[in-house]
Amino acid sequence: MNISMTHLPILLVAVPILMSALMIFLRSNANVQKWLNVSVSFAMMLISIILLLQVWNGGIQVYEVGEWGKYGIVLVADLLSSGMVVLSSLVSFLALLYSLDYIEGKSLNSTYHSLFNLLVAGLNGTFLTGDIFNMFVFFEILLLSSCGLVIANEKGGVTKSSDKMEATFKYLILNMIGSIVMLIAVASLYATVGTLNMADLSVKISAMTAAGTLPWHTYAIALLFIVVFGNKAAIFPMHYWLPDVHPTAPSPISAMLSGVMIKVGAYGILRVFFLIFRDALFLLQPTIILLALVTIIIGAVSAVGQNDVKRLLAYSSVSQIGYIFLGIGIGSVYALTAALVYLVNHAIAKSMLFLTSGGIIHHAGTRDMRQMGGMNKTTPIMSVAFLIGAMSIAGLPPMGGFIAKFILFDAGLRAEYYIPVAIALFFAVFTLFYMFRAWLLMFWGETRDVEEYGEYSSHKPSLMIALPIVSLAALAFIFGVYAEPLIALAQAIAEQLIDPQPYIDAVMTRVVR
Amino acid sequence: MNNFLLTLTISILFGIGTFLILRRDMIKVIIGLSVLSHAVNLLIVSAGVFENGKVPIITGSGHGGEITGTIYNDNLAEGIFAPLVSAGSHVEFVDPLVQALVLTAIVISLATTAFILILAYRIYEEYGTTDIRELRRLWG
Repeated sequence: MNISMTHLPILLVAVPILMSALMIFLRSNANVQKWLNVSVSFAMMLISIILLLQVWNGGIQVYEVGEWGKYGIVLVADLLSSGMVVLSSLVSFLALLYSLDYIEGKSLNSTYHSLFNLLVAGLNGTFLTGDIFNMFVFFEILLLSSCGLVIANEKGGVTKSSDKMEATFKYLILNMIGSIVMLIAVASLYATVGTLNMADLSVKISAMTAAGTLPWHTYAIALLFIVVFGNKAAIFPMHYWLPDVHPTAPSPISAMLSGVMIKVGAYGILRVFFLIFRDALFLLQPTIILLALVTIIIGAVSAVGQNDVKRLLAYSSVSQIGYIFLGIGIGSVYALTAALVYLVNHAIAKSMLFLTSGGIIHHAGTRDMRQMGGMNKTTPIMSVAFLIGAMSIAGLPPMGGFIAKFILFDAGLRAEYYIPVAIALFFAVFTLFYMFRAWLLMFWGETRDVEEYGEYSSHKPSLMIALPIVSLAALAFIFGVYAEPLIALAQAIAEQLIDPQPYIDAVMTRVVR
Repeated sequence: MNNFLLTLTISILFGIGTFLILRRDMIKVIIGLSVLSHAVNLLIVSAGVFENGKVPIITGSGHGGEITGTIYNDNLAEGIFAPLVSAGSHVEFVDPLVQALVLTAIVISLATTAFILILAYRIYEEYGTTDIRELRRLWG
């Protein structure tokens, strides 16, 4: 028992990789494949929660892969990474449950399960790794598996496969350039400092700063990392792929992409900048705040004019990731707490909204909101779910989004960033407008013209589709009325980020055996 | 001198790659990405060549140990045939870690390029063109 408890970090990475290989061999037996994958995914969720509890009670866990100490690859589970792993395991379990009924059988059977497991492995690996080159490797796993998943076909086929390929092409080209930039940054960092372990990098760069021998191009490397993680998170100059990719992906994959994948960028910024480039933060924070504000504005303004429900949600993701980066850019403990609370609430609400939009599209047979209307009567469950999600994204009490926005603006005001907070607050009103415009267009008003567009599908959402939506909606509500545990966790994470000495100590006390 | 040539090669490769990914033809864009990734691979390898520094190879217990600072070579006159080394002779290394890194990077870029070539072929089947400006159905 004791031995298995210390191996939790590697289990979270290795088991999904193993499963993805196993799923290919099981493709002749669809039922076994389905239920094995769901049960393993549920087990992963439990393991991630146990890991978070262990880290909360017992401090940072370091797992050496291959006993090479700081020279080899280490997996580090501190509060931030284990918290992110819990979030990603939760969303991926619910998305997997949803996709069993949503994805077309043939696609589901042959490649979907396998690629989905690789995506989970990539996410967990990115969050847990303590080695910056290893992070690049997991980014590539993430990229390739998500490309394969975007092309997967859903039942009913509302999105043409040529659209999917076009979106994937854009996504892949931009992210390949992103990974080339990341390699340049990692190689230059290695040539400058001579290590790839993040804790070791942090120690050495601090020592060089203290001695005054830090070369100026370290700042350039830090700015390259903004490009890398900004590309993953789709902040302003690199956001153009997102509104094409997220709508064309099947809904459970949109939920994964919007809920967790773009948070990988925020995680990377938090990890790399607050651990390695602490001394460059005076340069990075204004840059991040500026980019975050432009992202908020562009996302909000573009979302207002959309008629495609998933495209609207995608632009809303662009806008909301801006708020998370605003919190990161302000950079006090309270602001980081706010950014993390915002991140969790947005992940839950947005993945719930994307799952709901899948149900809506299935019901209406189209993605165009102008061809919907009066669906409140025909599918009340989707209506309530979309309303809860819209309220959470727009920041209305009693949903989780209200708490997140409230403490974010509070933190901004206490840190005396009046103008950024004013801009963010103004565009939060836009959020309110576009989310409720979508809800009113789809669910209120007259039922659509039956002769022109046909009847709504009378097919009721199945349990597999309703259950993930209901559980995420419940979470969005719970985080609104009982937010204290989440805020306490976020605050502990933020304190660890501001003072990374425990992280460094946990990694650097290892000896090479 | 050597380093100057290496730097020049890397920068020219970066230039060619950047030029190619700005072309309209999809295949040229993909070739450009390949060239760029090879330029990065060379950059990584060049990070392991030291002129006069010490190379981080762990020997013995791993706490410091013996480190050398020279390039690993055959020396026929003294009877050194790489990698067989007689006891007591002083051998020279380059940093081995970057070569492990570059191997990983090459494999990853192989996989990504294979995927994107298949994707480009399917797009050609659907759209009937490899002109990247025709790929704008989603902007409508």
